[in-house]
Amino acid sequence: MRSGLKSDIFEKFSALAGSISNSEVEGWKQQGGKVIGYTCSFVPEELFVAAGLMPFRIRATGSLSAGRADDYFEAANICSLVRHCFNKILTGEYEFIDGCVIGGGCDANRHILDNWEKSEARIPFLHRIFFPHSSGILMAQNFRNQLENLKQLLEEHFGLKITDDKLRDAIVLCNEIRDLQKAIYALRKVDNPPITASETIALVVAGYSMPKEAYKADLTQLLEELRGVTVPENKKTVRLMVVGPGHDEPTLCDIIETMGGTVVTDLTCYGGKTLFGSVREADPDPLQALADYQVIDRPLCPKNLDAHPIINREVMDKIKEYRVDGIIGQSYLCCETWGGELFVLQKELKEAGIPMLRIEREYTSDSLGQVQTRVQAFIETISGGLL
Amino acid sequence: MVVAGIDIGSTTGKAVIMIDDKIILGKIIMASIKPAQTARLAIEAALENAGLTAQDELQYIVSTGYGRLKVDFGNENISEISCHAKGAFHTDPEVRTIIDIGGQDCKAISLSAKGVVLGFEMNERCAAGTGRFFQVMAKVLACGLEGIGSPSNISPTAATISNQCSVFAESEIISLVNNDVPLPDIITGINRAVASRVSGLVRRAGLADKVVITGGCYGNEGLVNALEQALGLKVNRLPVNPQFMGALGAAVFAMEKFRAKTTETQINMEGAK
Repeated sequence: MRSGLKSDIFEKFSALAGSISNSEVEGWKQQGGKVIGYTCSFVPEELFVAAGLMPFRIRATGSLSAGRADDYFEAANICSLVRHCFNKILTGEYEFIDGCVIGGGCDANRHILDNWEKSEARIPFLHRIFFPHSSGILMAQNFRNQLENLKQLLEEHFGLKITDDKLRDAIVLCNEIRDLQKAIYALRKVDNPPITASETIALVVAGYSMPKEAYKADLTQLLEELRGVTVPENKKTVRLMVVGPGHDEPTLCDIIETMGGTVVTDLTCYGGKTLFGSVREADPDPLQALADYQVIDRPLCPKNLDAHPIINREVMDKIKEYRVDGIIGQSYLCCETWGGELFVLQKELKEAGIPMLRIEREYTSDSLGQVQTRVQAFIETISGGLL
Repeated sequence: MVVAGIDIGSTTGKAVIMIDDKIILGKIIMASIKPAQTARLAIEAALENAGLTAQDELQYIVSTGYGRLKVDFGNENISEISCHAKGAFHTDPEVRTIIDIGGQDCKAISLSAKGVVLGFEMNERCAAGTGRFFQVMAKVLACGLEGIGSPSNISPTAATISNQCSVFAESEIISLVNNDVPLPDIITGINRAVASRVSGLVRRAGLADKVVITGGCYGNEGLVNALEQALGLKVNRLPVNPQFMGALGAAVFAMEKFRAKTTETQINMEGAK
């Protein structure tokens, strides 16, 4: 769903988010640049940026089938997003990447590497990184050691040197990007946000799909444009927040906004969950700064044994900050990590008097008829028929 | 004031006309593959029952059901959850829990003393616990839906149906038939399996007395019996055909909306004077 804003930047972001390979990737490769794929928001992009590689977050945009992946995942309860991502890998849509780092945040995700190694899809560099499943200093040290190992492997494979200065520069760049994204998110606190939810998804997904310097320049220009937008006159709407794993395609948010809701913020893996604080910039050990950020400062993933109170607090804070009327907790079929988390969250929100709708769905956007009914009923329930 | 509510479900289409506070039910129309066509047939049947001749006489139309967005002659659409709640509460203000089992989904709705929806749950896209599940089982057992719902087929020695998936449950039932398990035991097992699944939805939505059942499965005595056992509460039937509850709720909404619109127009006209 579009806001009506005329912007070349938005057009570009929508095009980038609507496909896998794109003109930005092609331009980068034509100049001799290498692209490294990765899964999961806990893999620090800063390491790749410091290496001069273009990070590209694996997603399944446009996927209508996981048929090839099911040959591998058939016997397991593997979430829909992971199966569709792996299907894209098997069907050759990620042939442009020169390597991939698989985040071992959840079991489903880590199995991408197991199956990739057994498949006919070739990749010159494939590595798995394990995330600690709780926060704390010892866990951050463990994660730092894994980042050190990954750094060495990248240096050896790609024949380059990742210096501390380069790492610190990459941290500054990625912090600046996060700050710009946060500033754009904050524009949705007003009664009639200047951008829609699907435009916001395009905005963040584009960031995973193009070189970072160029993305920062585009975001800067977009923020200026958005600050100059005159919002339309007030209309009655139900302000909603989406919580759950990554969703890179806009169908669910379009349904919500077509049915009279407005998605004003989110805590999802491609979006709001990545916009949490900043990485320390002048640290003498930049790898430790990255590890501390992911393990101690941003333990927002339900894979962590101690994450629940932090997720709950973050949701509650955002409810106040963005004046949220209700939560839509969406997860994919067989996503154990978020499925369990949302169940507990719903109970706690109910006690706090905050309505929450849980949706468990397939990744493919053509199975959303029943979701539409539930979303509509949820919005009707909150609005009390006032819309 | 003359308004209508239309409920286009996956299996049937229903329409209700309200002339002021008088309720006129239409007929159950078997759904075609084109929801708009089903809606037209449903509204024509209701117009006939109401003694009206033309759709133009309807001053406001609300559509609901899975085909609600395809009703091209309605004023607006409202979800079936809100409409079932509205219809059931309008029929019996003591209702606090609604179990709606339709052709392709089942819902549990919890209501406040003022008829406000407090919570709802729906089955995911699986057909288990829906009318479709009963249709498949009735075909396997060659007993018709009447056989599945007959009180004479309620057995104290129910077979265990462990599989909730319609497809796998079908093969499980074929095995039971081949092992000469008595038909009432199998049927009671089927109804208990569905009741077990539905009762989970009901508890998640919020269970409170008075419980009613709406939708096409309301006449299944075996299911109602199994639900009462699973929930520990009486499952009541409404005095108006429960299969029309979605359409009735839509009609009540239509009346409320039209009255509000008329009042607003009058206020504006008086203000202009």
